[in-house]
Amino acid sequence: MTSTAQDLHPAPVLEPGRTILELRGLEKKYPGTHALKPVTLAFKSGEIHAIVGENGAGKSTLIKLLTGVMPRTSGDVIWEGKPAPLATPHEAMALGINAVHQEVVLCRHLTVAANMFLGEENSRFGILQQRAMVKEAQKIIDDLGFDLPAHVMLGDLTIGQQQLIAAARATVRGTKFLIFDEPTAYLTRKEADQLFTLIRRLKSEGVTIIYISHRMEEVFELADRVSVLRDGTLVGTRNIAETNDAELVKLMINRSIEQVYHKEHFTPGSVIVETRNLSGKGFENVSMTVRAGEIVGLYGLIGAGRSEFVTTLYGRHRKSAGQILWEGKPVQVNSEHDAIKLGMALAPESRRDQGLCLNLPVGLNLNLPIYKRISKNMLISGAQEKTQADRQIADLRIKTPTRNALASSLSGGNQQKIVIGKWLAHGAKLFIFDEPTVGVDVGTKAEIYRLFGALLSKGAGIILISSYLPEVYELADTLHVFRRGKLVATHGFRTADHEEILTQALAEKQEKLGGKI
Amino acid sequence: MSTEAIPAEKPKRNYNALFGLTLLALLVLLWVILSLSTSSFASANNISNLLRQGSMIAILAVGQTFVIITGGIDLSVGAVVGFATVIAAMLINAGIPVFLAIAITLLVGVAIGLFHGFGIVKMGLPPFIITLATLTSLRGIGLLMTNGNSISINNDAFQEFSRNSILGVPNLFWMVILVGIPAYIFLHHSRWGRYLFSVGSNAEASRLSGVNVQRTIYMAYTLSGLCAAFVGVLLASRIGIGNPTQAEGWELQAIASSVIGGTSLFGAVGSVHGPLLGAFILATINNGANLLNVNAFWQRIITGVLIIVIVYFDGLRRRGGK
Repeated sequence: MTSTAQDLHPAPVLEPGRTILELRGLEKKYPGTHALKPVTLAFKSGEIHAIVGENGAGKSTLIKLLTGVMPRTSGDVIWEGKPAPLATPHEAMALGINAVHQEVVLCRHLTVAANMFLGEENSRFGILQQRAMVKEAQKIIDDLGFDLPAHVMLGDLTIGQQQLIAAARATVRGTKFLIFDEPTAYLTRKEADQLFTLIRRLKSEGVTIIYISHRMEEVFELADRVSVLRDGTLVGTRNIAETNDAELVKLMINRSIEQVYHKEHFTPGSVIVETRNLSGKGFENVSMTVRAGEIVGLYGLIGAGRSEFVTTLYGRHRKSAGQILWEGKPVQVNSEHDAIKLGMALAPESRRDQGLCLNLPVGLNLNLPIYKRISKNMLISGAQEKTQADRQIADLRIKTPTRNALASSLSGGNQQKIVIGKWLAHGAKLFIFDEPTVGVDVGTKAEIYRLFGALLSKGAGIILISSYLPEVYELADTLHVFRRGKLVATHGFRTADHEEILTQALAEKQEKLGGKI
Repeated sequence: MSTEAIPAEKPKRNYNALFGLTLLALLVLLWVILSLSTSSFASANNISNLLRQGSMIAILAVGQTFVIITGGIDLSVGAVVGFATVIAAMLINAGIPVFLAIAITLLVGVAIGLFHGFGIVKMGLPPFIITLATLTSLRGIGLLMTNGNSISINNDAFQEFSRNSILGVPNLFWMVILVGIPAYIFLHHSRWGRYLFSVGSNAEASRLSGVNVQRTIYMAYTLSGLCAAFVGVLLASRIGIGNPTQAEGWELQAIASSVIGGTSLFGAVGSVHGPLLGAFILATINNGANLLNVNAFWQRIITGVLIIVIVYFDGLRRRGGK
């Protein structure tokens, strides 16, 4: 039909605007939940189609069905006019359907090149052609404009860089339909820009892109159309030019939220914790105070030393110099145990690696810090164990069938609520939240922010780490900017503009990608 | 209790009970089949014998399960059993009162467990390696101590114990109950038990939640060592000798019992009743095969096949249930 600039790219010859994949009443039921109610939707080749929705709205289920990871309950998938059973991941890949997941699922101990060709290695008489593969991988990476070496171990790259490799990997396999699941959650802005360039380029080659994100500005920046899922139902599809932020949010949560960033102001009370010239692995010479009723925001790029600073404060790592004062008195925090005893609580950055016992029940996760308190003579009080867990589940509106469901069966936002919820029953004076809203939907975000207010009103202090500037900007009473392990600037509530803060976080031109971690 | 909690409770309880029942049903089924197909199986003598045979592995399997729940493994338990028979025999023959001799032997088991904890926590060795090292070296130490000979125990009362019964139930089986009930309470109703699971599931998350991960690991291996030394005492009583080469391969039987009983080698999944049932299922298979005059070589093959079948179906059931 229309012949355009695509002729320059001989690879996947696809006409734009033609329907490539059609869902007809696609449905998925799990025991006890109707994860995806019949969805009918057509994707056109060469479009960037965003899918938005709250956690647990059915986005992940949809991806799993499309990539053949899980069988559907009923309905049809029509691929280029023919029904596709999509029973196995292999079958999906053979058709040209690929996905790039939020958390990188590649082998950290293999080289970048080996990962790019994993499963499709070049070999001659059974011997791997390693040098050829590295060369070829490097060519692809350079061609995509990523400044990354192909011969290093994948694990030596930052998470963001690994994500770019995962995206690059997906493009070399004759992909016609590529799903990105929250690809920018761990990326710096520069990395995100590189990724967007890649996505636009794929689009110009006729590849259909499904783009899943919680970040509205990315959806509006990239997408041609957007579909909204809510509670497993497709509630609408819009052309991006004909919709706006407010409408999408309303579709997603079925109520308008005047303000996501719920902020309550309290008069700051006495100083809870003070650090004086604290140094440790990954940060140096950090001095700051947190007072009761105050949110102290730490903004910076990933790897700027903020997480290292709070984990050292929390006793997970040893400080190399400096002093910690708790309520005015110098203290030694040699272990997490010491920190918890003083009255600190940490909701760590990675739910999966640091926050949750995924294959254990929700109730056990919620009660983990307080088992000592709900035990008597060595034995756990069964009644208290139940009521404590049920109370957190009810108060935080954690969506789970029972407290006995495994934490892994919950959606990301609900898992995050467990990570936070376990410290609410325990009680603390200083709450440290490290990236509390990564991969969390708008509705849950608002709930978490409201919870901050409740904690502050009880006289607690909060340290909030976020790489998402609007979040710290709108919430923090005091905003510290970190760059390369140093505290480089401090602002009051809304006393600087975004641009100024961003410049301070980035400073001189960003370090070269691939150079250092 | 909230109204919501009541319906929420049911599925999980049924589910757990169901699994316990599946294994129990398998055990009963085996007993029924053997009773019908052999004349001697259902005799009081044989049943007592069967309970005696299964008891020692059952106790080992309980200790092993604690370790496996933390995501580790204890390969040393068979060697600890053999070593403990030597210690017990030497002490008793030296004229030390039996109860003191038993207490010292149990302390040796605790010390071995603490050493494993030290190797894992402080030296950073994988559990497989440190317990493998103990497996081989304990046998060697025992052989050095005995010059490769067996030590006959000169104490009839000590040996009587394992042959006698109370209320028609062999004493050895009473020992399973003696270990099983506290173990059950410990694992399922104390916070230490919860910590075993949480450490096995995610050590870092547990640590950040204030759980003392190192102490939990020490505890698991210490309990396993204690169980193994206790079994050593029972074995010394049963065979009347101290011999470091006894209980060869029991660590594998203990691990097999634990796994048949639903313990996951990846950690964080396990119970006390599961491994107990697992141990008696294995004992029944061996006992039945003997009665049916199945070639001893075949018995080993059958046991191997059964482990695969039982664990496979257990895996299916788990995946299906979730």
